[in-house]
Amino acid sequence: MMRLFVFLSVAFAVVLTGCTKKKEQNLNVLQLATSAKIKGLDPAGAQDLYSSSEIMRVYEGLLQYHPLKRPYELEPLLAAEMPKISKDSLTYTFKIRKGVKFHDDAAFPEGKGREVTAKDFEYSFKRLADPRVQSTGWWLFEGRLKGLDDWRKKYTNTKDTPTNYDDEVEGLKALDDETLQLKLTQPYPQLLYALAMPYGAVVAKEAVDKYGKEFINHAVGTGPFILESFNPSDAIAYKKNPNYWEATYPTEGESSDKENGLLEDAGKKIPFVDGINVRVIVEEQPRWLHFLKGELDTSGIPKDSFNDAVKPADPAKPLTYDNLALSDDLKSKNIQMTIAIAMDFTYTAFNTDSKDIPQLKDKKVRQAISLALDDKESIQLFYNGMATSSQTPIPPGINGYDPDFVNPYRTGDVEKARKLLAEAGYPGGKGFPELPYDTVASATNRQMADYASKQLDKIGIKLKVISSTWPQMLERIQNRQAQMWGIAWAADYPDAENFLQLFYGPNAQPGGMNGSYYRNKDFDRLFEKARVLADTPARTAMYKQLSKMVAEDAPVVFGLHRIGVGLRQSWIKNFKYDEFAFNRSKYLRIDTEEKKKHLQ
Amino acid sequence: MFNFIIRRLLYAIPIIIGIALITFLLFNVVGGDPVLQMVGKHATPQVIEELRAEMGLNRPLPMQFVDFLRQIVTFDYGRSYSSKRDVLGMMIQAAPVSFTLAFPGFIISLCLSISASLFVAFWRGTLVDRVFVVVSVLMISVPSLAYILFGQYFLAYKVGLFPISGFSFDPTQVFSYIALPVLIWVVLSFGGELRFYRTVMLDEINQDYIRTARSKGLNERVVMFKHVLKNAMIPIITSVLIQIPFLITGALLLESFFAIPGMGTQLIDAFNTSDLPMIKAQVMVFSILYVVFNILTDICYSLVDPRVTIK
Repeated sequence: MMRLFVFLSVAFAVVLTGCTKKKEQNLNVLQLATSAKIKGLDPAGAQDLYSSSEIMRVYEGLLQYHPLKRPYELEPLLAAEMPKISKDSLTYTFKIRKGVKFHDDAAFPEGKGREVTAKDFEYSFKRLADPRVQSTGWWLFEGRLKGLDDWRKKYTNTKDTPTNYDDEVEGLKALDDETLQLKLTQPYPQLLYALAMPYGAVVAKEAVDKYGKEFINHAVGTGPFILESFNPSDAIAYKKNPNYWEATYPTEGESSDKENGLLEDAGKKIPFVDGINVRVIVEEQPRWLHFLKGELDTSGIPKDSFNDAVKPADPAKPLTYDNLALSDDLKSKNIQMTIAIAMDFTYTAFNTDSKDIPQLKDKKVRQAISLALDDKESIQLFYNGMATSSQTPIPPGINGYDPDFVNPYRTGDVEKARKLLAEAGYPGGKGFPELPYDTVASATNRQMADYASKQLDKIGIKLKVISSTWPQMLERIQNRQAQMWGIAWAADYPDAENFLQLFYGPNAQPGGMNGSYYRNKDFDRLFEKARVLADTPARTAMYKQLSKMVAEDAPVVFGLHRIGVGLRQSWIKNFKYDEFAFNRSKYLRIDTEEKKKHLQ
Repeated sequence: MFNFIIRRLLYAIPIIIGIALITFLLFNVVGGDPVLQMVGKHATPQVIEELRAEMGLNRPLPMQFVDFLRQIVTFDYGRSYSSKRDVLGMMIQAAPVSFTLAFPGFIISLCLSISASLFVAFWRGTLVDRVFVVVSVLMISVPSLAYILFGQYFLAYKVGLFPISGFSFDPTQVFSYIALPVLIWVVLSFGGELRFYRTVMLDEINQDYIRTARSKGLNERVVMFKHVLKNAMIPIITSVLIQIPFLITGALLLESFFAIPGMGTQLIDAFNTSDLPMIKAQVMVFSILYVVFNILTDICYSLVDPRVTIK
């Protein structure tokens, strides 16, 4: 202790005598910030948005979403072309792109990155199944690839048997260096989306073996950027990969992309920037001030600065996402704005199988509560108008979203709510027990809960707010102690199946995604039919029908789809909002002249 | 002296075990299940059980507690549940950062408040004294977040005296990065400390021996520094030494707002994610430091006050 003390005192003295001269800055480097500490750079653990964004600067998978085309469309990345799919939709054959190399790293002989082969994908996907790896991405393959579950079982709870990756698995095989074959147990059209997720990225066995448990801090991928330094709670630096394969900027996109200047770099080799610096800044104010000063290239708008940053485009109308303009101050700085509806929905779930509050089993009670919880005001109160009510789980932009459908229990009709509650046997809320409402402890959540209890007062239901940490709340949901709780779901991929599975009967189990224990045999039957279909109008019709069923049964109160407002500096070119934007920094270009002018 | 230290260290063992037991029980009763968060949103019950087994969380609680006791001795707390990084490594990386911010803040505010308290004690009852007391009450009454938001917005962003946020051990930059947070630290702690030390000084100033010293004709400088300050050392040492462990655990808000990657946010993050290894390590390291500095305090008493003997 004493030595540490002396060392630090000396270090501090040295430091104090230092001067504060600034180094020459390379202008062609993206300056970004992330609002959460990065949990690690292993693709097998790419569970949260923040880590995924960092992982995908370094790593790449077989497929990616086209950066410009909407609705979202997959395109080959490390695959040479889109896969060949057998007639029965059970066999997928991928050709691997030739000449793609891993980053140079001490893990390889002589420190030179070697070429990626199909075997590397076989290895990387097996890693997701390896119980030792504890990957959060196993669900993508669980029960899907022939023989992979058995392979996993062999190593489950057998600490002494080392995992053998050379063991052959029928459904996951590299036929030769360039060919990867996946064999499915049943049709699984979402497989391709799964492969475009960060979990589908290719890692090198040499690197995993060399770094062992420290692999999370050593990213060795094939991507456009090489990890230079990594401090998960402070800053991350990347430099351009000089040996990046011949990837180019897209030559086509949506019709509006051309007029928006998004095709000016068509066909040019990427990446354009020399590197990326990402700073971890958890608090909103410092991030915002850095951005205003031009020290960060992109930013959201902090909740508390919202009214200083934007104003209604038409001053006569209220501030909503379709009536939004930058404030004069930001406009004078030439800052650019993007507005987009996120592919998510917030909801208040009921425990529809409750022992403590059996009243929640009654559809009419749930419908009454749904009617009483009006969201028009709360969108203004808690989201600055930057959200749109959700009528069903499916957000706009995904096939199955029905813009014309109005959920009959989301109209805010309090009279109807009272009537339904009376029909259920609780006129004016008489005899209805106090209803526990679970929420994650935070100032905003508390305000939201208080607001909800004010609304339910109108129909005579009393709320008891229970605030806990996120793991505590998860445990309460799992143990079915929670009766009603606020939560949200964000898309893993642009397929309504990802949202509707929240209501699928077999997912109603402890820890399962169907936390409200909603069970409807008709729903389950139709869902099973729809989810194995390819994207066709017939499937879209089924998705619409499924979401109407859920709306009628009200196992949850549908909340809203959030709207993201993103800002960027004028010198950032080729920016397009992307819901699954994990590897978009390779397309960005910096107008260094403009940046220099601004900084002077 | 040696025997004293050994005895005190032995006394500390049941205290540490007690703290360990309370931490362990509290976590297991109200902590929330870490596995549910780790497995991600798509996990099946089978996967949850597998992970529980993999992490050893399905073993009987007494066995898990014995493991915990072993960890206390070996200092090997394993890997963080949430970041999967080595817990001790994370703390060793963060502690010097926290200390770099806290130590200068602590020393400057200590020197300032002790000198000011002597000054105020000397002018006790006069206008000077009253102004200082009122100002220090005002300083305590403003919430710390207000100082931070004001300093960051006005001094850093508008006037540009300091960087907005950030940290680096690079000798050319560290001073500019910590200058503003240290300034805020000093402002935050000055008021409270001044009031405390003023009370301590006034206690001494009214003692009989001070009157005697004065009546002997000693000048005020000697009275204040040689008699008052020296005799006030016991409460000063108590308050100073016991603060040192807190310097390493960091200043939550300052670190968070100035993006300083210290220990301040580590424990809070650990609680919010039920990160048991990190909670265990932090609580234990802090308890041990606390016990050690308590012993140091007792030893220091004997150094400044000849009446105190260590047996």
